[in-house]
Amino acid sequence: MTGAHAPGRPLLSVHKLCIHFTGAQGEVQATRDISFDLAPGERVGIVGESGCGKTVTGLSILGLLPARSSRVTGRIEFEGRDLTLLSPREMRAVRGAKIGMIFQEPMSALDPVFTVGEQIAETLRTHRGMSRRQARTRAIEALAAVGIPLPDRRVDEYPHQLSGGMRQRAMIAIALACEPALLVADEPTTALDVTIQAQIIRLLVDLSRQSGTALLFITHDLGVVAETCDRLLTMYAGEIVEDAGVDEALLRPRHPYTSGLLRSIPRLSPRKTVLPSVPGRVPALIAMPAGCRFEPRCSHAQPPCREPQVLAVAPPAAGDPVEPGGGDQPQRSDQPQRSDQPQRSARCVRQGELHLPGALA
Amino acid sequence: MSAELIRADALRVHFATGKGGETVKAVDGVSFGVRSGETFGVIGESGSGKSTLGRALVMLLKPTSGTLLLHGENPHALGSSAFRTLRRDYQVVFQDPNAALNPRMTIGDSVREPLDILADTPPAARRQRVGEVLERVGLGAEYAQRYPHELSGGQKQRVNIARVLMLRPKLIVCDEVVAALDVSIQADMLNLFADLQREFGLTYVFITHDLGVVSHVSDRIAVMYLGRFVELADAQALADAPLHPYTQALLSSEPVPLPSSMRTTEKQVLSGEIPSPINPPSGCRFRTRCPKAVDECAAREPAWREALPGHWVACHFAMPSEAAAPSPHHA
Repeated sequence: MTGAHAPGRPLLSVHKLCIHFTGAQGEVQATRDISFDLAPGERVGIVGESGCGKTVTGLSILGLLPARSSRVTGRIEFEGRDLTLLSPREMRAVRGAKIGMIFQEPMSALDPVFTVGEQIAETLRTHRGMSRRQARTRAIEALAAVGIPLPDRRVDEYPHQLSGGMRQRAMIAIALACEPALLVADEPTTALDVTIQAQIIRLLVDLSRQSGTALLFITHDLGVVAETCDRLLTMYAGEIVEDAGVDEALLRPRHPYTSGLLRSIPRLSPRKTVLPSVPGRVPALIAMPAGCRFEPRCSHAQPPCREPQVLAVAPPAAGDPVEPGGGDQPQRSDQPQRSDQPQRSARCVRQGELHLPGALA
Repeated sequence: MSAELIRADALRVHFATGKGGETVKAVDGVSFGVRSGETFGVIGESGSGKSTLGRALVMLLKPTSGTLLLHGENPHALGSSAFRTLRRDYQVVFQDPNAALNPRMTIGDSVREPLDILADTPPAARRQRVGEVLERVGLGAEYAQRYPHELSGGQKQRVNIARVLMLRPKLIVCDEVVAALDVSIQADMLNLFADLQREFGLTYVFITHDLGVVSHVSDRIAVMYLGRFVELADAQALADAPLHPYTQALLSSEPVPLPSSMRTTEKQVLSGEIPSPINPPSGCRFRTRCPKAVDECAAREPAWREALPGHWVACHFAMPSEAAAPSPHHA
């Protein structure tokens, strides 16, 4: 075990991560200078529209980008090692053992010709060197832990015999079999019904609390982030545009894009009224604006916005909500220690002067 | 009360499965009316039968039993020409904007096709109408020359709306029309639907699994579970004081984008999953997942009753006073 981890250090530290893809028109940049830290046990949500770079950011942490057509620069430090420097063989020892993953569509991530039990056992035999019998026993325990009824029977079933919700539970069982320090979940509840989604959200949060597994939750649904995560990263056009505690971001977003995403949710407007929307579309990778990438769609844009923007620590703005419960940081009991950056930041030159509506308009 | 464009009574749509002569009871006895000019929301999980119901309402499926009256007429008793005329008034837009467009046809050809088939307007007038309708859905007449692959998902959905508008329908069934779209695009699309309704006096049957969407657009909402309606009420009443345990659980399950201090901590998470529509549970179909189920629920099927004026529910125990607590879901 190399898990001996210095206390107070982030579990994952992504620094100036740029992902490039080569295609017919030459090389395009999919993400630019993605930097964020994840503390042990912390649950962080990444939100943004399709094409903002959420999924490729998750895949790069897992080392799953296509080697031939992609190029990654920057650092992805996990437990003190830079994952971008690992050989494929070394990366395979990390993936599945220390970093688990679950995806949106469990049917395409599960192998149809192996039983659920065999797929959990494979992980355990590969990474933990367990015997067949040990791995099977552990697989049944893992299925029970994710709330699959009759686990000793389900362990011998094939993915097609399970419902969508049960398949997603089986995927979580596989991902968590080796008790990873980090779980990357890419839209894990998007394909599920709302009552099943509620079950899976509760399961993920409970498991994360019990085992101290940190969660990187990639989703387009701010409601899911609110109920799952401690911190919110908003991505737009390949960049992180806001990094803040979930409650702070929902109450008083500092970036107009976060505010726009929130305000377009039907639930937050009175019935039958016109919904605020963000006009326009995410720019194409080959046609990124030189300045603020959100400027063409932003209703607050001014001349300084045509300059490139930095992700800067937000000054406390007038009208910010007063922290409840007195002087200390508002901390939920289950909340892990934040690493070294309790502040929030946004990639907007006007963040100090704007008063943007959040969940409460 | 305004005229009813749809009246369904004990409507059933069943499908035979390949093996063993089993029957999938997708829609298994629903009764309701849709008033002219309203937005009638239908919410349910996958497998509840909501899409099958939608298809039956626009005559894409024939009811197995029960009655369906469209504008007072039984469409399946009409001759083929009267049937086609009636069908112009009842149109549908589907979830996947890609699947509904032919990739080899230009947008203009796709949008014009309904009028080409009817062939009751001169070609020049049809082309002009394509331009007008594309403008109206916010695309611009120049899009007529383009192909589906040149458009984004939201733009393609606008094309699908334009195409049904060509026929000047009275009612549009919207089956998960915004489910595939990003939230900001979704907001634009919902605004467009509202504008078109005002402008053309359209009636919508809005089918979705998304509570936020259905609550925002609907005048009345029906909650569907395993082929039946379990509750039907004014949208506000349903959100504020749901009577059926399933509706209450659905509302409670919805993830709310509010800070932790404003969310209710007590979430009612349903256990289990929707049972098979081949062999639905006896008595109340929801009893296998219902936190309040007792023996009677298995023995006796709950009646579809009007618990409050205009507020229908199918539950032995749903009492108006019990659920009068305001919903936590309002910002």
